Parts: sequence; structure tokens; C-alpha cells
Amino acid sequence: MCSKMWRHRWHESSKLSCRVLPLVTIDELRAAVGADGLITGASQLQTYECDGLTNFRAMPGAVVLPKNAGEVQAVVRICAQNRVPFVSRGAGTGLSGGALPAAGGVVISLARMNRILEVDIANKYVVVEPGVINSHVTQRVAPHGYFYAPDPSSQSVCTIGGNVAENSGGAHCLKYGFTVTHTLALEVVLPSGELVQLGSPTLDAPGYDLAGVFVGSEGTLGVATKVTLRIVKRPEDVQTLLAAFDSPQAAGQTVSDIIAAQMLPSALEIMDALAIEAAEAAVHAHYPMCGGLLLVELDGSASEVEKLMRDVRAICTKNRASEIRVAQTDEERALVWKGRKAAFAAMGRISPNYIVQDGVIPRTALPRVLSEIDRMASAVSLRVANVFHAGDGNLHPLVLYDRAIEGQEEIALDLSYRILHLCVDNGGSVTGEHGVGKEKQEALGYMFSEPDLETMQLVRCAFDPENISNPDKVFPRPRLCAEKPGPYTPHPLEAAGIAEIF
Amino acid sequence: MSATVSISLQECWSHLASIAGQEHTHLASEAVAVAPADTQQVSEVLRFADANGVAVTPTGSGTKLGWGNQVEAGIRLDLKRINVLREHPWQDMTCTVEAGCNWATMQAELASHGQMVALDPLWPEKATVGGVVATNDGGPFRLRYGGLRDLIIGMTIVLSDGTIAKSGGKVVKNVAGYDLHKLMTGAFGTLGVITQVNFRLHPAEANTRTWTLVARDAADLAEPLRALLDSQITPSSVQLRAQKLECALDVRIAALPECMDQHETSLRKVFGQIELQDADEKVWRARQELFDAEGGVVLKVSLLPAEACLISAELQQLAGRDDLEINIVAQATGLMTVSLRSAPEAAITLIEHLRWRLRSSGGSVVALQVPQLLRGGLDVWGCDSNALPLMREIKRRFDPNHILNPGRFVGNI
Repeated sequence: MCSKMWRHRWHESSKLSCRVLPLVTIDELRAAVGADGLITGASQLQTYECDGLTNFRAMPGAVVLPKNAGEVQAVVRICAQNRVPFVSRGAGTGLSGGALPAAGGVVISLARMNRILEVDIANKYVVVEPGVINSHVTQRVAPHGYFYAPDPSSQSVCTIGGNVAENSGGAHCLKYGFTVTHTLALEVVLPSGELVQLGSPTLDAPGYDLAGVFVGSEGTLGVATKVTLRIVKRPEDVQTLLAAFDSPQAAGQTVSDIIAAQMLPSALEIMDALAIEAAEAAVHAHYPMCGGLLLVELDGSASEVEKLMRDVRAICTKNRASEIRVAQTDEERALVWKGRKAAFAAMGRISPNYIVQDGVIPRTALPRVLSEIDRMASAVSLRVANVFHAGDGNLHPLVLYDRAIEGQEEIALDLSYRILHLCVDNGGSVTGEHGVGKEKQEALGYMFSEPDLETMQLVRCAFDPENISNPDKVFPRPRLCAEKPGPYTPHPLEAAGIAEIF
Repeated sequence: MSATVSISLQECWSHLASIAGQEHTHLASEAVAVAPADTQQVSEVLRFADANGVAVTPTGSGTKLGWGNQVEAGIRLDLKRINVLREHPWQDMTCTVEAGCNWATMQAELASHGQMVALDPLWPEKATVGGVVATNDGGPFRLRYGGLRDLIIGMTIVLSDGTIAKSGGKVVKNVAGYDLHKLMTGAFGTLGVITQVNFRLHPAEANTRTWTLVARDAADLAEPLRALLDSQITPSSVQLRAQKLECALDVRIAALPECMDQHETSLRKVFGQIELQDADEKVWRARQELFDAEGGVVLKVSLLPAEACLISAELQQLAGRDDLEINIVAQATGLMTVSLRSAPEAAITLIEHLRWRLRSSGGSVVALQVPQLLRGGLDVWGCDSNALPLMREIKRRFDPNHILNPGRFVGNI
């Protein structure tokens, strides 16, 4: 039956349950990227059927691996002409299903566009292709004493293009900001296939801040083919402190006290007992076993860091820390961070399955929300481990469950969504850094009202009126773009020359 | 004025008065000024304007109404009554403030908890939050704290059809939905009317010191500035001031009192032989003073930081050659304010030259303050972006009847 469909355009065939890319389209794609840049074999396609959120899967019709912006344009034009949905993909480490393909659609893998094109130390920026790995940017500029600040836990594999799509954060964004803070300019292939420059290496280019809107749009507004990133001078001194508390609430209180003392640490992280247990099992970070572990990192001038570290110690002691440790060497610091960054994956050591959530709350709501999460988890007899960027109220509750137990996955999913609602009810957000993607569309509808979402849709429609760039993501329900509004029609009064005064 | 016209204005007035109250609706010779009480009333005003094709100019205190192309609007939408600092949960270091709130008033309230919105716009005693955001204004703080796009975490806006929409939220870290607030920041009121803004806050700078390096030629300050920016010192502000025959580099550091001396030692190390003088905080008013001088053209020039001294030196030389008076205040971020006094032709020639000069490095020149004489002969925006069609499409989606500040923005958007 499918073989009869190949003449039809994708959107027509998609009305049926059988979604395949017409062979002519595949031929066009091959011509655009070369035979070595096209994947259509079922077993190879399987690699691309999901991202880091593995419970959503869909088989793409083809994967293309363009080598430059021109090839991306050619691919997008083919998709636009045939109204085939496409999704761009970096390393596929996203945790919200952002890179999940449309069934039968095209995956544009940016893996071969991985060159650092320009390094300008005097003006503190680098220009990279989207497939460049996050930590490679820092490696490249480190000899000059600089680093690239956003540091998602997956930084050794995730790509800049993916970071741009998700507006990725990391542990140090409390002080240094997010991907958008560090993105000066973008070269973007629009869903029509046109190539545009958004922003500039200089600040405040005249016009709307389209680079600011594009970052974090989760691949729904086009494909970034070049990114200009700001780099930051390494601080003179960095110190990392671990403090052990009875509970995450006590650790949370310490965070509030540190902030109230007008300090802006570069990182403030909390892990609860379950998370510590898992991280220890996975990477032996030598964490003290306790109910709530606080990690504080301060950076800046040596004299200032030293003085502030003394203040932090005093605050920890006041809040009855049972143990306070400062990493003495770079190796010790690296190990502390390794444990923290491995925390999600480490859950596999203590639970057969787990769901990573990503909610945000005002920092002051932390003790209240943590207690409520505890209560909600006990009510359904599940365990929730907590790892969070406490400085900016970004929680990562990890809901532990066993898929083998019938019905438990549904209960766990339901709990994880209820935790997001709890965050919104407390004045927060349904995602701090992982994005909405496929996973949190309904939650976005809980956070924003219909007029808010309709207004966001206006942006979407200006960029992608045909709705082919990563469609059916982010927004709670499929939305079509209304017919383009017509040209401006003068009011009859104006036409009559009466209202010219206006 | 014909009778028909006054009736039409009269009708407009009476409808707006029925929304905002007669005492808040005034009939002037060419427009109706209306000051709604809240976001809901802003929505009703816009819905009326949209249905009748009447152009609207939103205003705060009007300090920057001269920026951009001039708009002859039938309705002047005054945000002055929507002016309350709604929330300041100081332990969360955020605030929610209405657009008509005076900038200095807001900062004074935040300062009661030792906090601030880390932005230093022009005329803080007069300017309003909405006006500062709509024009994306900001001063030398940007080096350390970033610009408005880094400080705004949420917003309430009203679209031309009266839709009230929110984006972002009240938490600093948030990637849910599109950041409409980034689109609104610096959009000069052409996409929607901002009625409320959520900011992230920073600790106020309790203890600061300013130093100055003096030189004759801006080019002589290029190396000290480069060395400073490449050092591990994190100044809160750095600016270059350049006139015809003299120039200065100002550096401000905010630090704990007990660490200030050490910062000074580091600064002296970076600058080597060049003499470092203590300076008054007043030097940070230099940017605003360029606007306060009457009659001149004031430009916002954006260039690469490493070009700032060189371009300033070139301008100094031009000032020496022609009958031009040029004053420059350049921030280390590459944002430069230039005031020009000259014959109109010379000003236009200079602006065009600068645009050509900066094109290859992505720089731009926007004429913010323009004498009436020059209007018409000068493209104030100088936007040659290939994303202009996309910007027009966004405008069309947001404001299909083109009633919000029509023509004021880039490409006559």
C-alpha cells in the first residue's frame, strides 16, 4: 500500500497512517547532500528515532548530514517544496524530545558541521558551526585564558546547535547566564530555505532582537548554521566547598542565607541522600553521606574569593553543617563536579528506570516545595531523588520506578507532571533548561494561558508559516497559521482624507 | 482645521474618555492623549484604535520620543498611571514593576533591600521602565551585568488587537515558550505595548571607586584598554571619553572595601607606566551629557570593542580637519555615543562614512537625536540586515493594521 503513496506529497500521505518519504524526494535529498550524506536504511535510521528522552520514538524517513549552510538550505528547500517536516539534530542528548523526528520526516544532523571557524580573543568571541561540541569551545580558547560559560552536564558530548535550540544552562548559569546570554549572532536557514543573519558580533544591531528569540525556540524557527559565541576570561581564583546537612531543606536555607548576604556564587548545587548514594556508586566522588549536600563554588579575585569563602563557611556552620570541605586541588574540584554531573545517569545504579524532570521555583519556595514533593511521592509509594541548581531554583526531581511492575510507569509519569504543576503553582516554570519539546507540551499549557500561547504562535507563523520546522513540539496542541493578514487597508475615514490628522 | 476633523477627534476623545475617564483623556490639536489606569484599559484603548485604524504612540515620560522616525499618531497612550512596583520578593532577587514606573523611583525602592536592576539608563529621574525597555537603553553597567535582554525575565504586553499576553515568568532560569520579552525589548513600541516587566536583580554596588587614565590621542589608549579587558580584573564599568584634543579612559570597580586596594594594585600592574588618577563618579554622567547639549546630532555607534579606540582616534582627526565638533563616550562593550555639531551635509557625510567603515565588522550607526533640519535627508536607522523581510513579517503578524508607532522603526516598520 505504501508503494502507491510515493507520488503524493508528504502532507497528503500523512493523512493516512502510512508516512513515507516519496522516492523522488529521497533522490532530491541525495542530490543535495551526496550519497555519503544520506541515510535511509532502516537499521541506521533507528539511531535517530529518539533523543535523550527515550520513551518517545518515531522513525524518520531519511537522515541527511549536510557539510555546509548551502547544503542545509538545499535540504530545507526540498522539505519546504514538498511540505515535509524536518528536525535538526546535534548529539541527540536533549531530555525533552526536542530532536524526536516526525514519523517519516527528515532529520538534519549537523554532525559534520563541526568546525570552529574563527577565534577573536581581542573582541572575546568565537564563530562556530552548530555541530561543535560544547566543551571543545572552551578547549580551543583555554590557552588564551578564556572559557565558554554555559556548561550543561552533557557538555563533553552535546553540541552548540543543540544548546542554542534549548537555551541550555548548566551549573554555572547563576552567575554567568544561559546560552542566550552568550550568543551574539546566528546564521540561520529559515524554514523557507532562505539564509539570514540574526544579530551581530557587535551589540544591539538595529532591528528586532531575533537572535534572542531564536535561542531557545527548540528548532521550531529554522536551522542555525553558524553561531557567534561570547567567551569569558577565566577568573583568577576558583574555590569549591562541600557542606553536609541533615536535609535538603537545611541546605536550601543555607542557599537563601548566602544570597541574602549579597553574594553571587558561580554555582550553588544541592543533592539529596538518594542522589548522593547514586553518584557515589557511579563515580566515587567521596561525597559525605548526608541528607542534603550543598556545593558552593565561588570565583573572582583571590582576595575576594578567600574572604567570601570564610563568610560561606560561617553561614554553613550557623545552619548546622555536620561537615565542611573545600576542594584542595583542581583534581579534587573536578571529581566533585564529576559526581554532580553524573548524577542523572547514576540513577541507573539505584533504580531500574527513572524520569528526569526539570522544574523551576522561586528560591524561597524551596523548603515548601521539597516537602510537598516528598509527600506526593510517598502517597504513590515511589522514590524521588533530588538534584538541583539551588541558586536559581532549578529542580531536577528524578522519579525512580520499575517498568517491569505493571502500571508503575504511568504512576511515575503522572507524578513527574504533577511536580511540574506544583512548580507553576508556586510561581515557577515547567522547564529551566531542558526545554518543552515533546514531553512538556501539556505542562506549557498549564503555565501559559491561551492568549499567551497564541501570541507566541504569531512568531512561529512569521518564521514558519507552513509549520514544517520541528512541528508538533513545544505548544500544547497543533496550531495552524491563519492566512497571512492582508496588506494594510486604510480606514474609510482615512481614505476619504478626513482622518489624515491621525 | 476643518470641522470634520475636530468631530473625528472629538469622537475619538469621547470614546477614550469612556474607557479611561474624562480627567485622564485630553484633546490636543492633533491627537488625543489618554492615560489608562491598568492593562485592561490599555487593551480597550488599543482595540478601539485598531478597529478605527488610528495610529498609537505609547509614551512614558517622553524623554526618548524623538528617537527613531517621527510618528504622527492620533492617540498618545500615556502609561504614567500604570506605575507601581508590584512585587519585590527580595530573597528571590526579582521584581515585578509596571511600565509607567519612574526608573529612579523603582531603584530607590529596590535599594531599601540593597538591590538594583543592574542597568544605568539615561535620565533615570525622568525615564520610565517601559520607555527604557522599548528603546533598549542602558549605560556602562552593561560590561559587567549585560543588557536588558539579560535582565528581563518576564513581561506583560498588549497587542494591537487588545490581546493581553504574558511571556517568561518570575524566575530567573526559565526556557518555557518563546521569549516574547526579547522581541519587545528595543522594538520601540511597534509590536505591542509593554505594561509590566519582571526583572532579575543584583546586589547594589555598595562600595565603588573610579580611576582615570588621560591621553591626548584615543589611539594611545587602545593598548591599555586591551590589556584591561584581557586581564582578570572585572570592572563594573569602563568608558573612553574623547574630544578633539584630549581623551580619557575611566574604570570603575565595585568590590568589598577590604579588597579595593588589591584591585588598585592589579589595575596599576595592568596599566604599567601610564598614570592612574582617582576620579569622581561624575565622569559616568558623560554619556548623558552628550544628549543634553542642544542642537547636535547624537549617534549610537556599535562596533567591536577592539575598534573603539581606533575609530575614536579617526573621529578625533576628522574633528581636527573639518569644521566639526565631535564628542565621544565609548563603552568597553563597543557601544559608543557620539555627538556631532556641524553643517547638516557634513553630519550626513560623516554618518555615511562611519557606516561604510564599520560594515565589514558588523557594526552599525543609529542616529538617535536628530535636529529637524536633518530629518528627511538621513536614514536614522541604517539597517541593512537581510532579516528585514522577516522583521516586517513579524510586524505584520503582530500589528496587521499597522497602528502601533507606524513607520518609527527600522525599514519604516
